[in-house]
Amino acid sequence: MAHDRPLGDVKILDFTWVMAGPAATRVLADYGATVVRIESTHRLDTGRTIGPFHDGQPGVEHSGFFQNLNAGKFDLTLDLSQEAGREVARDLVRWADVVTESFSPKVMRVWGLDYAALRQVKPDIIMLSTCLMGQSGPWAQFAGFGNLAAAISGFFSLTGWPDRPPAGPFGAYTDYVAPRFTAAAILAALEYRRRTGQGQYIDQSQAESALHFLTPALLDYTVHGRSQERGGNADAHLAPHGVYPAAGEDRWLAIAVRTEAQWQVLCEVMQRPDLGHDWRFATLAARLMHREALDTIVAAWTQEHRAQEAEAMLQARGVPASAVQNSQELYGDPQLIHRGHFVQLAEPLHGTTTVEGSRFKLSRTPARVERAGPTLGRDNQYVLETILGYNPERIAALTAAGILR
Amino acid sequence: MLSPYRVLDLTTERGMFCSQILGDLGADVIMIEPPGGSPARRLGPFYRDVPHPDRSLFWWAFNRNKRSITLDITSSDGQVILRRLVAGAHFLIESDTPGALTAYGLDYANLATLNPALVYVSITPFGQDGPKAHYADSDLIILAASGPLILTGDDDRPPVRVSVPQAYLHASAEATVAALIAHHERQYSGHGQHVDVSAQQAVAQATQSGILATPLNAEEFQRFSGGVRVGELRIRLVWPAQDGYVGILYFFGAAIGPFTRRLMEWIYEERFCDEATRDKNWLAYIELLITGQEPLAEYERLKLVVEAFTQTKTKAELFRAALERGLLIAPVTTIAEVVESPQLAARDYWQRLEHPELGQAWRYPGAFAQCSATPITYRRRPPTVGEHNREIYMDEIGFTAQQLADLQHRGIV
Repeated sequence: MAHDRPLGDVKILDFTWVMAGPAATRVLADYGATVVRIESTHRLDTGRTIGPFHDGQPGVEHSGFFQNLNAGKFDLTLDLSQEAGREVARDLVRWADVVTESFSPKVMRVWGLDYAALRQVKPDIIMLSTCLMGQSGPWAQFAGFGNLAAAISGFFSLTGWPDRPPAGPFGAYTDYVAPRFTAAAILAALEYRRRTGQGQYIDQSQAESALHFLTPALLDYTVHGRSQERGGNADAHLAPHGVYPAAGEDRWLAIAVRTEAQWQVLCEVMQRPDLGHDWRFATLAARLMHREALDTIVAAWTQEHRAQEAEAMLQARGVPASAVQNSQELYGDPQLIHRGHFVQLAEPLHGTTTVEGSRFKLSRTPARVERAGPTLGRDNQYVLETILGYNPERIAALTAAGILR
Repeated sequence: MLSPYRVLDLTTERGMFCSQILGDLGADVIMIEPPGGSPARRLGPFYRDVPHPDRSLFWWAFNRNKRSITLDITSSDGQVILRRLVAGAHFLIESDTPGALTAYGLDYANLATLNPALVYVSITPFGQDGPKAHYADSDLIILAASGPLILTGDDDRPPVRVSVPQAYLHASAEATVAALIAHHERQYSGHGQHVDVSAQQAVAQATQSGILATPLNAEEFQRFSGGVRVGELRIRLVWPAQDGYVGILYFFGAAIGPFTRRLMEWIYEERFCDEATRDKNWLAYIELLITGQEPLAEYERLKLVVEAFTQTKTKAELFRAALERGLLIAPVTTIAEVVESPQLAARDYWQRLEHPELGQAWRYPGAFAQCSATPITYRRRPPTVGEHNREIYMDEIGFTAQQLADLQHRGIV
């Protein structure tokens, strides 16, 4: 059983919550890792309060966000503020290869579940802590969400229009970036343990991971002392380059002309062969200089077309273009459908739920996304009885003592 | 962590971040560039703004911990040499148009017969197959096609991207995870496989599950500068400070409500609101708005109260209070402020890399995580074009100086 899936032998005890941690362990679960998530009804996963919700109705068991991040995982509700709860946690540490957590620094230490304590229980354990700013430093205790980590890491000042306040990237941006580094660090640490028998502790600052997505701008400052600012959709190397209005309300078309040939083709498709000879647009340098006039001309054409039609016309001739897709269009996108991006799962409260599939394909050992994200405490019995081998009396005693909440 | 393993990197700007992460984790990475250098070296900004293949800061950003050789893989001699390298490699990363490498006999099926344990990673805009697999692409096009773009920006203007290209970084980082999953499996099966990464699918993660609104029959998220709009509810994130902006998560519910309560207490202390405003039910406030028990106009008034308050404080004052009082406030920092951050300094984040070819050293963003047993180290600055040709072709492959000179003369190296 263990090796019929790529990560079939990997056991993860997962104390993370909201998005950054769960997004990382979701990928590992897709490929066969056994992930046991610890939740608490005393301290609900904020992820359960984030939409989109089934039928737009908020509720702890209605969050599509939570289900998307936790499909394929087991769920145990456990009161870690009580010693009996921590005893169960330590038994799970003995079972696990990897322990992940995303509380503010100190929380695991207060519970006696920090790395120093866990390695006494299991010397070769791999433990990864992920939080906004890392475990040390003057801002270590800064608690919050990925949108604040994005604000404090420069992403906000780099997103928006120069004449307006920063718009910032959508949502909890560092929560989309950091999980890749989390999963990579876990897999590399497992590889190291396989060769050497050694576990280790990994301290991940989500801000420090995410800054790798801004490196060209960071180097521009460390090398030249230049602090880059937001520039709308302008590109230093490309013109036309932007998001242009399409027919309909809030409908847009992105165009990014990368070569002179593409520019000439765009002029043909717009039925404006005159522009191909216009001195203002004859070279990239000229087009960059006359960007505003150029954008006005392109927008006049895009406004006359539906975004998907214009996309098809331009792509048929090799010009980079795409409708700016919303959820409805994404759900109907033939490419995403072809790639199996949307996966329907049976789910007891709503009949079915839809989650995203794996974002990549392994040719020989594909992902299997088969089980909906858990309702609170769904797998208490399975985890305690089958994974930990507790007898019915012990489980009953834990239930009676209010530990399994 | 990955020091026993060799990675061959054939990618351009679409994929070179993937092997840098593997290199940071210890792998031996060889960039294989066309003679004259990778097209990614033509992307700015450039050192002192003078375009030069060895002075692209964009190249520097994603190619440390790698060696570079040049090789014309479109020539049959070049293909023979690449196959020799593949025989001893563990990973190959490429980002060409789907099918393009087949013409050179360098597709997965071909190389797998030579090295069945090879993990072969393809990073492309839309994946290896499907109706858009051959679409022309760019950073902006992928952001448009995958969902986050429509959600980003001011609601009275076109959607807007992050000014530093992001799409291929999402794809490349996702590819690293995929490669390591295939590697883990290979330890048991002895077999490699083809890893097919779609940038569109990777970037869809940046919709924060908003992509699922339609199948879940929920309302679409809509962009609203610095926040998000759900129906008539405009959740604001960016607020003015005396000297710039701050992000405040001014929201409600069991998890966030207590933070909002503490913020309102501070605002009350400084006489910017009355008691009744301070004492609203912040835990249940969202439900009150949804059911109409609390009018939306009152919520809009609250935002003006908060704005009037934050305008009187500096970013530093607001952030200090966040740390002391436990508030969800963060400064909107400039790039300069990020580099000079006391937090990053205290954690010794920045790593200085010597560029002996320019006689200088500069700070690079440091380890993406601190690993106690196997710290991430920056062993090599980004290579100049073909910097390691002699080292690899002669010392490792075993060509003579004469043979290498001949390959160079013929334009293969």
